[in-house]
Amino acid sequence: MATACTTELSTRRRSTSALVVALAGNPNVGKSTLFNRLTGSAVETANYPGMTVGLNIASATWRGQEVQLVDLPGTYGLDPVSEDQWVARHGLLDWRPDVVVAVVDATNLARNLYLVLQLVDLGPRVVIALNLIDEARRQSLRIDPHALSQALGLPVIPTVARRGEGIDELIEAAAAVATGGDGLGRGRAVRYSARIETQVAELEAELADDDETLPDGLPPRAAALALLEGDEELVTALGPTARAAVTAERAALAVSIAAARHAAATAVAEACTEGRAHMSGADRWWRATTSPLTGLPILLGVLAAVFAFLFFVGGWLSSLLTSLWTATASPLLASAVHGLFGYGAFAGTLLWGLDGGILAALAVGIPYILTFYFVLALLEDSGYMNAAAFLADRVMHSFGLHGRAVIPLMAAAGCNVPAIMGTRVLATRRERTIACALVVLVPCSARTAVILGSVSLFVGWQWALLVFGVLGLVGLVAGLALNRVLPGEPEGLVMEMFPFRRPSLRLVAVKTWKRFGTFLWAAAPIMLIGSFALGALYETGLIWHLEYPLNPVVVGWLGLPAVAGLTLLLAVLRKELALQMLVVFAAARFGAGAHDLRSFMTPHQIVVYALVAAIFIPCVATIAMLGRELGWRRAGAISAGTVVTALVVGGAAAHLLPLL
Amino acid sequence: MAVKSESREEYLEAIFKLTQQPAGATVGRVAEELGLAAPSVSQMVGRLAHEGLVERDDASRIVLTAAGRREALHLIRRHRLSERFLTDYLDLPWDRVHDEACKFEHVLSDEVEERLATQLGNPQTCPHGRAIPTPDGELADEPARPLAELCAGQRSTISFVSDERPDLLRYLSSLGLLPQTTVAVEDVAPFGGPLLVRVGRARYALGREVAGKIFVRA
Repeated sequence: MATACTTELSTRRRSTSALVVALAGNPNVGKSTLFNRLTGSAVETANYPGMTVGLNIASATWRGQEVQLVDLPGTYGLDPVSEDQWVARHGLLDWRPDVVVAVVDATNLARNLYLVLQLVDLGPRVVIALNLIDEARRQSLRIDPHALSQALGLPVIPTVARRGEGIDELIEAAAAVATGGDGLGRGRAVRYSARIETQVAELEAELADDDETLPDGLPPRAAALALLEGDEELVTALGPTARAAVTAERAALAVSIAAARHAAATAVAEACTEGRAHMSGADRWWRATTSPLTGLPILLGVLAAVFAFLFFVGGWLSSLLTSLWTATASPLLASAVHGLFGYGAFAGTLLWGLDGGILAALAVGIPYILTFYFVLALLEDSGYMNAAAFLADRVMHSFGLHGRAVIPLMAAAGCNVPAIMGTRVLATRRERTIACALVVLVPCSARTAVILGSVSLFVGWQWALLVFGVLGLVGLVAGLALNRVLPGEPEGLVMEMFPFRRPSLRLVAVKTWKRFGTFLWAAAPIMLIGSFALGALYETGLIWHLEYPLNPVVVGWLGLPAVAGLTLLLAVLRKELALQMLVVFAAARFGAGAHDLRSFMTPHQIVVYALVAAIFIPCVATIAMLGRELGWRRAGAISAGTVVTALVVGGAAAHLLPLL
Repeated sequence: MAVKSESREEYLEAIFKLTQQPAGATVGRVAEELGLAAPSVSQMVGRLAHEGLVERDDASRIVLTAAGRREALHLIRRHRLSERFLTDYLDLPWDRVHDEACKFEHVLSDEVEERLATQLGNPQTCPHGRAIPTPDGELADEPARPLAELCAGQRSTISFVSDERPDLLRYLSSLGLLPQTTVAVEDVAPFGGPLLVRVGRARYALGREVAGKIFVRA
C-alpha cells in the first residue's frame, strides 16, 4: 500500500548506520523508474519547509546491509538557483550519501554529463547509470561505456531501467564504490582555464587561512567553486571574510565556469559516442504536436478526448457502480442495520454514512479519479504533457499559470478531486493556489448534471448555455483577479520538451495506483465522516431548524424557496444531491408532483438555483483534497471565496433576471 | 589528440569566418579558403566533429559547436591582439600585420596572451577596427537582438544573456544556454506564446520574458 507520509526535513538528516545511496539526474531520464525498481512501495516523501519539491526516501536491504535510498529531484544542475536544484543540492549536503548514482540519458549525453561534472566538483563518490541505451541504439547512437568510464574516471553501467536491465550490475558497482577505498568514484574533475584555476586556488587558500568551518563537509575546492559560481547561501553561511573574498571580478566567472563545464561535457560525450542521431519517424510525427498548425488541433482533440472520456466513460461507470451498489450492497446494509438498530434516527444516520458515504466514495473514486490518474500518467510518461503546456502557455499565463495547468483544468470538468491533485504538475505554491481555485470553479460532471437536470430540462437549453457562460466568465475573472491579488510574480517558463517515449503500462499503473492511494487515505474518510454528519442532521430532523437562519440569504437575497437552501447544504456531500434532495424535500413540503421543479419555482429561480449550486462551496472530497494539497487555511479561503462568489453571482442574477 | 594544433586552429578560424557569411561553411568552401583539397578537408572536419568542435546542421553545412566557437574566438583574440602588438609596439603598418599575426597567434600561451593584453591596455579593437573577443570568447560589438524576436525556423548564436536576473542566467547556463551556443527556433506557440528552441540535442520551451533576456547575434 502506498503510504505516502510527509515529514519536514529540517529534522531529517542521516543519522543511521545504513548505507546512504542518492539518485541524481536530469528530469525524465528514468531516475524515478530506477528508484521504484530498487525500492519497495513504502516511500516517504520529505519536504524542506516551504518547498513544494520533496525528496523521496526509501529503505531497502542489500546482502543484509540496510540501505537508505534518497531520490533527489530531477535537475539539470546543482546550483541552488531554482527550487528543485536547491533541494537536490541540500539533499546531497545534508544526507552525505556514501555514493551517488548519477542517472544519465544516453540519447543526450552532453547535457547530462554537465550534472555529473558538477557532482564530481562537489565531492561525493559517483557511479554512472548510463540509462536509455535502448533508445540510443534505436537512434543509431553507439556509446562506449569503457571510454566514458575512462574519460570521467567513474564506473559506468549501461542500464535500461524500464526493463530492469543492468540493475544488478549497477547495485554491485555502487556498493563497491560506497564501501571501497578512498580513490574510488571520485572522478576526474574538470581543469578550468588558468584564469579560473588561479582564482579557485586563491580562494581555497583564503578559506583555509580564515579557519572557516565549511558547512556540511564541503571540500575546500568545492566551496571555492561554489563561491565563484555565486552561491549566496554559502557566502552568508561563511561569514564576513568570505563575503569580502567574493569580489566582482570573481563573481563574473560564474558563466565561464558553466561554459567550461559544458565544453568538457560535450568533448567527453563526443569522444565516447559513435554515429549520428537520426530523426526517427516517431520523432517527426512527435514534432507535429508542437507545431501550432498541427499542434493546436491535436491539443484540442486530446483535451476533448480527456473530457469526453471522463464525462461519458466516467459517468457511465459511475451510474453502473451506483446501480450495482444499490441493487446488492444497499439492501444488505439496510437489512443488517435495521436488524441491529431498528428504524430510529441512529440507524438512519448509520445508513447515510455506510450506504451513502461508501457509495459516494465509490461512485467518484473509481470512475473519475482512477481513470483520470491513468490518463494523466499516460500523458506525462509519453511526454505529451509538455507539448500541451507549450501550446497552452500563453492563455494560462494570463492567469499567472504555467501551460501545464491546462490538463488539470480540463480534467476538473470530470471531477475536481483528481484535478486538484493534478495541479502538482505546477512548480510554485502560488501557481498551485490559483490553479486549485480555478479547478473548484469548473463545473464537474455532477454539477453539470444538476444544471442540465434543472435548467435545461425545465427552462430551456438556451438558459443552460447562459449558465455555463456565466460560470466561464466567473472563472475568467477569478483567474485574472487572483493573478493580480496574490503576492509574487508568475514564473518565467523554462521547460524541457521531452522526446516521445512509449509509456510502459506497468509504470503508468504503478503511478496511477500511488496517486489513487492519496485519494483513498485523504479524501475518502472525509466523505464518510461528512456523510455521517449530514445523515445525523437529516435523520434527527435538525436540518429543518436550519431553514430559518438561512432564510435571509436564501429567500431574502437569492429569492429561492426555503427548502432550496437546505438542499444546497446537503450538496456539500455530493453535488448531484442538490437536485435529488430538492425533489425529495419539495415533495415533503409541497406534496407529490414536486418532481417538476416548475410546480414550486419560477424559471428565474431555477436558473439562480443552478448557478448557486454550481459555484458555491466544493464538495467534501474536494475540500479534503484542497486541505491536503494546499493546507487548511488556503482550502478554507478558497471554499469561503466560492460561497461569496456564489452569493454575489446568484444574488445579481436573482435581481437582474426579472428586469430583462 | 592526434590532430596537429596549428592546422586545427586554421580550420576553426576558417569555419568561423565562413559561418559569418550567409552561405555558411561547406567542405568545398573551407577547402577553397585554406587552399587545400576537399578530401583532406572532409577528413579533418570529421576529426573536429569527433572532438566536439564542429557539427553539421540540417542542411549539412559545417557549424561550430559552442566549444568550437569558443576556441575559434579565442584564436581570433590572439590574432587581433598580435596585430595590435605589431602595430603599437613594433610600428609595422597595419596593412601588413595580418600575415605576421597568423604566425604569432599559434605560439602564444594563455599567460603570454594575458600579459600581452594587459601591456597593450586591454584594447577593444584590432588595428582594422574589428572587435577583439573577450577572454571568455565574447564579441563585444556584435549587434544583438532578443531571441524572442526570432521566427520559427531561424537559428542564431547566443551573444549574451542579460544579467538582470543572475539566478536565471545561472539556471540557463546549467541547461547549456550559454554565449556562443547555437540555438534554433523550431516552433513559436500562438498568441505570443513561448518559443521552442533546440540547443544541441535538447529542446526547451522558453517563455517570452525569458527569451527576451537572451540576446542572439542579429
